[in-house]
Amino acid sequence: MTTLSELEAPQRTPVSDAAPDQVVLAVRGVHIHDHVSDREIVHGISFELTPGKAVGIVGESGSGKTLTCRAALGILPEHFAVSGGSIDIVGHDIAELSPAQWTELRGSTISAVFQDPASYLNPSIRVGAQIAEVIRVKTGATRRQARHRALELLAAVQLRNPALVYAQFTYELSGGMLQRVLIAAAIAADPTVVIADEATTALDVTVQAEILDLLADLQERTGLALLVVSHDLAVVAQLCDEVLVMREGQVVEQGTTAEVLHHPQHEYTRMLIAEHEQYGLERYLHSELSAEVGLNRAG
Amino acid sequence: MPAEANPAVLQISDLDVYYGARRRRRQALDGVSLQVSRGETVGLIGETGSGKSTLARTVLGLVPAAAGHIRIDGEAVAGYSRRQWRTLRRRGVIQYVFQDPLRSLDPDVTIEDSLIEPLLIQGVGRTEALRRVRPLLQRVHLDTELLARLPGELSGGQRQRIAVARALVTEPELVILDEPVSALDSANRVEVLEILKQLRAAGVALVFISHDLGSVAGIADRVAVMYQGRLVETGPTRQVITAPQHVYTRLLVGSAPTLHSAAADRAERAALRAALQHV
Amino acid sequence: MVRRVFALRTGKLAVGILVFIAMLAILGPILAPHDPLGSTATTLAGPSGKHWLGTDYLGRDVFSRLLAGSRASVVGSVEVALVALVVGVIPGLLSVYLGRVFEWVSLRLADTLIALPFLVFAVAVTALLGNGITQAMFVVGVLVSPLFFRVSRAATLSVARSQYVELALISGASVGWIVRRHAWVKVLPAIAVALAQTMGVGFIIVSSLTFLGIGVQPPAPTWGGLLASDLNYLHFQPYAPVAPAVVIMATVWGCNLLADAIRDVSGENGRALVNSRKARSNRLAAQPLLVESSR
Repeated sequence: MTTLSELEAPQRTPVSDAAPDQVVLAVRGVHIHDHVSDREIVHGISFELTPGKAVGIVGESGSGKTLTCRAALGILPEHFAVSGGSIDIVGHDIAELSPAQWTELRGSTISAVFQDPASYLNPSIRVGAQIAEVIRVKTGATRRQARHRALELLAAVQLRNPALVYAQFTYELSGGMLQRVLIAAAIAADPTVVIADEATTALDVTVQAEILDLLADLQERTGLALLVVSHDLAVVAQLCDEVLVMREGQVVEQGTTAEVLHHPQHEYTRMLIAEHEQYGLERYLHSELSAEVGLNRAG
Repeated sequence: MPAEANPAVLQISDLDVYYGARRRRRQALDGVSLQVSRGETVGLIGETGSGKSTLARTVLGLVPAAAGHIRIDGEAVAGYSRRQWRTLRRRGVIQYVFQDPLRSLDPDVTIEDSLIEPLLIQGVGRTEALRRVRPLLQRVHLDTELLARLPGELSGGQRQRIAVARALVTEPELVILDEPVSALDSANRVEVLEILKQLRAAGVALVFISHDLGSVAGIADRVAVMYQGRLVETGPTRQVITAPQHVYTRLLVGSAPTLHSAAADRAERAALRAALQHV
Repeated sequence: MVRRVFALRTGKLAVGILVFIAMLAILGPILAPHDPLGSTATTLAGPSGKHWLGTDYLGRDVFSRLLAGSRASVVGSVEVALVALVVGVIPGLLSVYLGRVFEWVSLRLADTLIALPFLVFAVAVTALLGNGITQAMFVVGVLVSPLFFRVSRAATLSVARSQYVELALISGASVGWIVRRHAWVKVLPAIAVALAQTMGVGFIIVSSLTFLGIGVQPPAPTWGGLLASDLNYLHFQPYAPVAPAVVIMATVWGCNLLADAIRDVSGENGRALVNSRKARSNRLAAQPLLVESSR
């Protein structure tokens, strides 16, 4: 199976436009205002992403986590606006970006994967051609090169038969495969930051784990910075170094994953953890987290 | 915990189910045997297309079985006619709860009318039906004010609790729940799970269908794992989770997101996935 | 649903037009100031106080003929719609439940009827059955019925596959119960839309047939007949076809508006429409704010 490390060096390595300690995405005290209801939806959120780092946002629907992602991508829905604070992408304040600069930035520096992969792909165009198009537009590659690179990417996201998938349409692929295709498209132009907004929510757990593992692999191998958004604390904990817990637009808890898991401060975070301990696998696995379980799982 | 002496409320043996007409015929269930005792909670786990929903639909008589036996509350239902099914269903022994309560409640019918529908079908009078429905609302922690509303005017959590209440009006022996909490957020999920726990305590057997072992771990007495139309593993929840036998079950356990997943699990999962290719 | 139709401006307008036309059909012959068949010496006169819309080539009062002619047109189009309704909806509903054979046969029959050009067919049938508007309209109704068949079948199918119908089945509901409790309400708006649309089509057909002189014997007034006779004297009265053309257009427009209004307010789409209007008005209210903040 081809992994990303075996890929031919792309035209531009992602880390080249950002030194390892450079902040690639900085969200500083961002407030988001809804002009329809005239209410503030997000009341100040701050975090920084450096290459190879993963930050996670946990919260239920309506907590403002998706709006934060959209603000960072410059695709807030109509009537919503950043009303306070600033967002920097690789040193550029996004408030000062022209539409042309945005187009330049999206895909090649920051890109995203969302919950419902099928709606982000054109059902009447073969999926491979759609990835190749991204590559051609973003890197100016020839048709041939783009196709070659698209096949490499499909292999890199661990699709078993890249050439077959390349020629297939969305309806011929399962949800997990589509999400992988979308990830391939998202990393096609070697972005520095990838935002995964509930990217695994609609998938079976086994497929979810596969996608999460894939993202972790990419992060390790290419120094990708990840912003992971989920309603499930465990999903975020599995992937991220830093966790933000949001509730009703407020960041109620923020810290390293270990801190948040072991010393939760806010009641809501405690409830999220309690739910897992009470109803999840933890109840069995960690009450007797012993060599026995380790053996079974390794066996 | 299941009491061994209890007779089974549901008994499935060697069930085969096929989908599609002649040429496109595809086996959906292959020799599935499963037993649910009175008051027992069974988690039925499997990925999309593994046959878990088909199994439920076959038990409910919505999909015909090609071979095998199903006994519901002692009655052998294989080869039942439409009329016989209707009579059995009207007794209300088995009820079903869908994943998405928005689609399983008629948008043009008030909550009250949706709730009493199974009773009205049984031939119970409207006043009597309403009298029986009221205490149920308390059981699912909902206010009687909601009765006059339409499903669109309720939150997702409220709707799912209404769907559970609706399944209970006929005082069933067995309730089959298809991913009942996966569309809900944490607070509502805990609430619905609490309600289901109380039901279990009241002696109602539950079959809890999910793709996630984690979501049934806290409630199921026993777990049955399906993979590609077959039941690959059954056992007490603790045993299946701590000592999974089948490769797929091991992958399931390893894949369920837990708060303490380690990076090292990644290699194990990759190995299990590779092993699953050869099963 | 009726209240929601009236909440729309187009709905009010449509109902207004149609009520007006219906009143004409009922009261028209009584209200007519002159005998629609009685000729006078003043032929082809222009509009005047005595003859509001002037007189035709035989000196008959055009306004009276227009009023008297409304009944034939309205009755004809209502007949088309009702025949199509009965012939189309019942098999449409049943095709979902009565098994494969009935479904196949009814679908092929509907396809066949769609393929026939109904105006030509209506002409042929009146030639066979004798010159009468009733026969002609009956045939047209049957030929238009596939619309009702398809609409009611589609609505029933979507309900039959829904989870709440499955839940009712699991509780032991019969087909009759499901049709009464769940299917009927969802099929109704779709049928109402088709009905209003068919009325419009019916008007055009009645007018076309009477224009061709089919269905109604010449001295009796009809809108289409009026239009036809006016055309021969365009030379002297260039404005003459305007009045009958306007009433025909207004009626068809009214029917189509009503169909649109019913479609707009019914079901999920209806709710979405009402919501989007609310959102739009909110947006307009919020506009100054937005401009300010963008500066």
